[in-house]
Amino acid sequence: MMRYAAVRLIQFPLILAVIYVATFFLTWVIPGSPFERTERRVADAALKAMAERFHADDWRKFMAYYPLRALRGDFGQSMKYQDWSVTDIIRQSLPVSVTLGLFALTIAVFVGVATGVLAAVRRGGIIDSLSVGLALAGISVPSFVVASLLLVTFCVRLKWFSIGQWGTPADMVLPGVALSLLPMAYIARLSRVAMLDVLGSDFVRTARAKGLPRATVIWKHCLKHALLPVLSFLGPAAAGTLTGSFVVEKVFNIPGLGQHFVNSVLNKDQTMILAVVMIYSVMLLTFNLLVDLCYALLDPRIEVGAKAQ
Amino acid sequence: MLRVLLIPAAMLALLTGAMIWSGAASYQRADFVFINRGDINTLDLNTISWLQDIRMAYALWEGLYTLDPHTLEPVPGCADPIERSDDGTVYTFHIRPEARWSNGDHVTAGDFVFAWRRMLEEPGDYTYLLHYIKGARDYQKAFGEGRRCDFSAVGVRAVAPKILRVELEHPVAFFPALCAFPPFFPMHEPSMRPFRIVDKTTGRVSYDPAFTRPPNLVSNGSHRLEIWEFHKRLRLVASEYYWDRKNVRSRVIEMLSFADPRTAFLKYETGGVDWLADLSAEDAGDLLARGRKDLHVFPGFGTYFYSLNCLPRLPDGRPNPLADVRVRRALAMALNKKPITDNVGRLGQPVATTYVPPGVFAGYRSPAGLPYDVERARQLLAEAGYPGGRNFPQLSILFNTEGDHRFIAQIVRKQWHDALGIDMELCGVEVKTFRTRLHGRDYAVARASWIGDYDDVSTFTDKYLSDSDNNDAAWTSAQYDDLCRRAAREPDQQRRLELLARAETILLEEAPIIPVYHYVNAYMFREGVKGIPLNPKNMVIFKAVEAPRP
Repeated sequence: MMRYAAVRLIQFPLILAVIYVATFFLTWVIPGSPFERTERRVADAALKAMAERFHADDWRKFMAYYPLRALRGDFGQSMKYQDWSVTDIIRQSLPVSVTLGLFALTIAVFVGVATGVLAAVRRGGIIDSLSVGLALAGISVPSFVVASLLLVTFCVRLKWFSIGQWGTPADMVLPGVALSLLPMAYIARLSRVAMLDVLGSDFVRTARAKGLPRATVIWKHCLKHALLPVLSFLGPAAAGTLTGSFVVEKVFNIPGLGQHFVNSVLNKDQTMILAVVMIYSVMLLTFNLLVDLCYALLDPRIEVGAKAQ
Repeated sequence: MLRVLLIPAAMLALLTGAMIWSGAASYQRADFVFINRGDINTLDLNTISWLQDIRMAYALWEGLYTLDPHTLEPVPGCADPIERSDDGTVYTFHIRPEARWSNGDHVTAGDFVFAWRRMLEEPGDYTYLLHYIKGARDYQKAFGEGRRCDFSAVGVRAVAPKILRVELEHPVAFFPALCAFPPFFPMHEPSMRPFRIVDKTTGRVSYDPAFTRPPNLVSNGSHRLEIWEFHKRLRLVASEYYWDRKNVRSRVIEMLSFADPRTAFLKYETGGVDWLADLSAEDAGDLLARGRKDLHVFPGFGTYFYSLNCLPRLPDGRPNPLADVRVRRALAMALNKKPITDNVGRLGQPVATTYVPPGVFAGYRSPAGLPYDVERARQLLAEAGYPGGRNFPQLSILFNTEGDHRFIAQIVRKQWHDALGIDMELCGVEVKTFRTRLHGRDYAVARASWIGDYDDVSTFTDKYLSDSDNNDAAWTSAQYDDLCRRAAREPDQQRRLELLARAETILLEEAPIIPVYHYVNAYMFREGVKGIPLNPKNMVIFKAVEAPRP
């Protein structure tokens, strides 16, 4: 397992380098200048001065300047928010998105697994129907609808929470719920299907035949099997959720990283685009590796890194 | 069993850690809370150009002139008295002895020399406004090209620590208004020194813009910047050293950042904000229809129009029918703007027949502009060789897909089709592409707009000078240029306005642009909130703002 992890870790820089170069060329060909910010045309001299300041007057200069610095975590100044270095922006916004994402994932995992397991155990009952309904709603209702509904109901009508604020645990509740619905729906469905599968297997029947109580069988023997597909979903889901959501952050006015994924492209903010893409890539690679390692933890039959016989 | 519990336990631990990491902090309500139009882009006076940034600059800095908090007319700021030579070309500013920076340092003439020199050496969006100063244009050009240049040839001199002498190329009647505009504000060099970057090859000096962030930023206005949390809030606190601190009404001012105007509006509705400086047209239209007393709609400082490319050839090389003034006039006269303001604007925007918004500049008499006259439009088009729109080449209307521009373009296309029998294609692109194509004159017909900057008609008319960078229509008129240039040198204000009105008449008659409507501004603030002028210039002088607190 250690060897497997080591090989994967060695692959990381190569994959990241490819992503960096590919993203850079994509940002370079997006039409428009990052320095023309309003409808007022900026004089050529000023545009040139700004491009030079950002080492962005020539792609070779850009590539010679930024990648080495990016290795040290310095992505340069944001081309749109010129008073801020990209690192400063990320330092302020990433913790916000990670906190919110973790909160949402926690809700999603707890509620999703519980609903899925209960639905499988009480197959065909009310809880099962409810769980299917929840999953369907979570997957099909867009997050801006859920977010707006939550905002209007709990902030404007009931006044339980204040609007557009970030700082206290209470500020996290509504955006967290809005953000959790989609992964929760997936988790509920995955764990329900997996649980149904396990419940019908021979070892469960044997355990029950031995006289073990139903609760013990489910809790001790079935649950960890039901968690395996959830785990493989959690890798990419965690990367997506922890880096923030454009819609939820916009509606709840959360100063997170999610909005930069969209806005930096619209602004052609090349330094910012590269930074957010790299952060997302690092997270995705890391979480996928962690998930692979967790498999072994949950199910010793899976030997991570073993060659197929 | 334990292994199963490990995952949720780890998640909870991580969550707790992340909450601490993300820096939970509780809010204490400021004396005045407002939501600006979008977030702050920059507070570097060199590159400042967005409305919200300029608004903020008025709280943090003060120029030689400032704006009167109620009338927004230029009045002496951190300099008083100000002497003007008889021919109007030399200004001598006596900086107030009590004018200080937020760190207690005295504001000196050198601070202005430093800021203006930096503006020429590291040019930004508004550097061209400094070209009224003697020798400034040449200095900027020579410096930019790396030629030998001597700043002493520029007409800005600190003749004593508190005396600044400025020599202009010619009399500029609106120089006080320019001095009250943020690109002319002073900068505090000693506090910027740690952020100085010297280019090893060229030896040129630039500054790491981190100097604008607290606690680094030293400013000379009524307030100083205490907190700037990215995309979250800016907190300003009254400067202990501001010369007019006895007239500062709110000690702590907070600007909240909102990405979504709808959420910003809900924040205002739930009472968390004293002044909402921007509303979506949709919300404002609904509120206006409901007769909300705290909605304030008033004339704006800009015009929405259609720009017609006047180059002899279209970007694809075909001959351009719009190069013919008769075609342009036909298009202008065939457009009924009322349905646009009624159905799309919804805020009672005045239909525009002129480019310069009427009533905004005292003493300026706007020309009539072209009337809506479909018959005459058809005639003109026929005279140009396109009777009933026959043989008229396929052109497209360029617009950016954000906002309501598509709806307006649809109305325009239908009207031209019905009135003139010509067919236009709609071409919606995202805003960056739109700007590049508009500025590159890579279009036939495009939606456009212009918002004035300073208190003079030339802030509008200069856009269509033949050599202006902003002349997106590529329209040239020697007569227009001559009238604008004469107006710039004319010391008598009334005569200047007459010259500029004549220039605007030519612009409207030749129709490189088709004015559609004049902008209006919409604010929300409740009774008891003071110091927010309902002035087209859309600015606020923050020392005068005040909100009732229980």
